Amino acid sequence: MIYDEPRFTPGGDRFIEMELGDELNFDLNFLVHALTARVREADFDGIIELLPNMASIVISYDPDRIGYDDVVRKIGGIFASLGSLEDVELPSPLYTFPVLYFDHVTRACWEDYCARIVEKEYDPDLMVRLNKLESRAQLARIHSGTEYWVAALGFYPGLASLIALDPRCRLTAPKYNPPRTWTPKGTLGYGGSVTCLYPARTPGGYQIIGHSPVPVVDLEQRLRAFRDRLALLKPGDRVRFVPVGREEYDHVEAQVESGEYEHQVAAYAKFSIRAYHAWLETLDMSIRF
Amino acid sequence: MAITVIKGGLETTVQDYPGRKGAFGMGFPPSGPIDHWSFRLANVLVGNAPGAAALECAFIGPTLRFERDAVIALTGADMKATLDGDPVPLWQSIGARAGQTLALASAVTGARTYIAFAGGIDVPLFLDSRATFVIGACGGLDGVALKEGQTIPLGSADNAAPGRRLKEGTRPPAPAGGIWEIEVVAGPNDDWIDAAGQRRFLESDWKLSPKSNRVGFRLEGPEWTFTEKATNKAPENGEHPSNVIDHGYPIGAINLCGQTPIILMVDTLTLGGFINPYTVPTCAWWKLGQSRPNETYRFRQVSVAEAQAERRRIAALCTAASLAPEGPP
Repeated sequence: MIYDEPRFTPGGDRFIEMELGDELNFDLNFLVHALTARVREADFDGIIELLPNMASIVISYDPDRIGYDDVVRKIGGIFASLGSLEDVELPSPLYTFPVLYFDHVTRACWEDYCARIVEKEYDPDLMVRLNKLESRAQLARIHSGTEYWVAALGFYPGLASLIALDPRCRLTAPKYNPPRTWTPKGTLGYGGSVTCLYPARTPGGYQIIGHSPVPVVDLEQRLRAFRDRLALLKPGDRVRFVPVGREEYDHVEAQVESGEYEHQVAAYAKFSIRAYHAWLETLDMSIRF
Repeated sequence: MAITVIKGGLETTVQDYPGRKGAFGMGFPPSGPIDHWSFRLANVLVGNAPGAAALECAFIGPTLRFERDAVIALTGADMKATLDGDPVPLWQSIGARAGQTLALASAVTGARTYIAFAGGIDVPLFLDSRATFVIGACGGLDGVALKEGQTIPLGSADNAAPGRRLKEGTRPPAPAGGIWEIEVVAGPNDDWIDAAGQRRFLESDWKLSPKSNRVGFRLEGPEWTFTEKATNKAPENGEHPSNVIDHGYPIGAINLCGQTPIILMVDTLTLGGFINPYTVPTCAWWKLGQSRPNETYRFRQVSVAEAQAERRRIAALCTAASLAPEGPP
C-alpha cells in the first residue's frame, strides 16, 4: 500500500529513511521521484543527498547544520504540499539503446558460469519457459516492446533499475544462485521484475539475455553524452531497447570505440502520470506481442 | 617526483575525509578512511587540514622511497615502521630525507595505519575528492590500491615541522579488555526484528569475520528472529524475512543478508533488497577500522542525539588544538 503519512526512521547519526509505501507500484515510485524533485528544488541547508528508490528515499544530512527533527519537518512539509499526483509532470528524457539479443558476449559468460560454477539452463530459454512464451523471438519482441522507467539508480555506480511501462511487457526472472563472479559490461539483465544494463564488468545475479555496445557510464567522459556527467541515466528517465543485427551492433561498437558515438535521446520529453493513466485505460490487456 | 612505491602492501589506498559527496545517488559511495579519527590526527600532526589526502594501509603496510625531503606522521595501527631501518614512532611528526625508505610490516596491534604527508597527496580530484574506490576503479592514484613502481605526488607544505606530538587524551583509546563496544542507533528497520531478536542482538558477543573489507564488515553470531512485518508481507518484498523491496543503504547500516549481518562500510553498494535493523553511527567507525578478524564486538544502543554529540566531540579533537605545546629546543 501507499501510506497516508510517510514514515521516517533514523539510519545512524546522519541518514534518515523515509518510507512512502511497502509495495512495487508505479504510482508509488512516481510519487517518490516527484517528492525527490521537490526536495531538491527546495535546496534545504544541511540536506546533502537523496537516494530515491522503489518505495522510499534515504536522505543524508549534515548534523552540524540541521537536526533530525528539522529534516523530518521540512521534508514532511513538502510531502503534505504535493497536491494531486495526477497534476505532476516530470522531465523524462527517452534514451534508445541498440541491443543484440541472445548475443555472443553473454552466451560466453553463461558458458563460463556453467563450466566453472554450476550447470544452468541458458538464460533466454529459462525466461521463455518461466514466462510461458513461445520462443526466444517472442521474448525479444516483448522485452523491446515497451518503454522502461528508471525507478532507481545505484547499487553499483550508474546502474539503473528499469521497470516496464507497458504492463503487457512485464516479465519475471529468478536470480542466479550462486551469483556470477563476472558479467560483461553492457550486458542486458533481468531479475525479479527489473531489467538493467550493466555499467561495468561486475559480479551479478540477473538472467542475461542480450548486449548493448552503448555505455551508460564513462568515467573518462570520452563520449559527448558524458561531457557533464559520469552516469547517463537518472531516476525518472525512460529507456527503450531496439533489437539490432550483428552488422549494426558492430557498427555502433566501432563508433563507441572511436569516440564518435552520439547517444540517441529525446531530451525534451516529459512524463505526465495523468496521460499515462489514460493510456493504460486504452490498452487491450489480452494482447501478447 | 615525490614518493616511489617499492611495495604496495596488502591494500594501501589514497583517501581523504569525508570522501566523495554528492554522488551517492548515482551509486558512488563516499570512500574515505574507516578510522577517520586516526586519519585526521595524522594530518593535524603534519600541519595539513584534517581531511587532506593521505594513505590508509590495511593489515600489511607499504614500502615507500622518498624522492624529496618530507615531513610525515603515522597514526593508527602499529606496523613496526622503520625509516632506513630505524624505528619510526607513531603519533608524532618526523622528517624524512630524499633517498630514505619507509617500510611498514604487518599490524601487531590494530588493523589500519594512516600515513600523512605535509602538503597532502596531490592526485587529481574525482567527484571533488581524492578518495580511492577500488571496486569502482576510480579516485585516488589511478583508481587502484598502491602497487610497485607507482609515484605518489605530494603537495607543497609551508606549515610542517618534525617533532610535533598530541596532547594526552586526544587519541582513540584501546578497547577495554580486548572487546570492542560499538555504538548503534536503532533503525531504519528495527521494527522487522522481534523483541527477543533485538535483545539477542544487543546482549550477544559478535565475532568479526575475516571476510570483511571496505565494502562491508561481516559478523558472526546468534540467529535473528523477526516480527510479522518481516514474515507476512507483499510478495514483491522477497521470500526471506530479511528481504525487502530495494531501498537505499545508509553507510554504517547493519545490513541483514539472510541470517548474516554485514556492517556496510565506506565503499558500500548503495542500495539493495535487505533490511537494515541497526546502524553504526560515524562516531564508532574508528573502532571498526582498527578491529581485527575474529575480535569481539558488543553493541550498545545510543540515541541519534548521543551519536551526534560523540561525533562532534571527536571532530573537536581532530584539530590543531590537540597538538601538544612545543617544548624548549
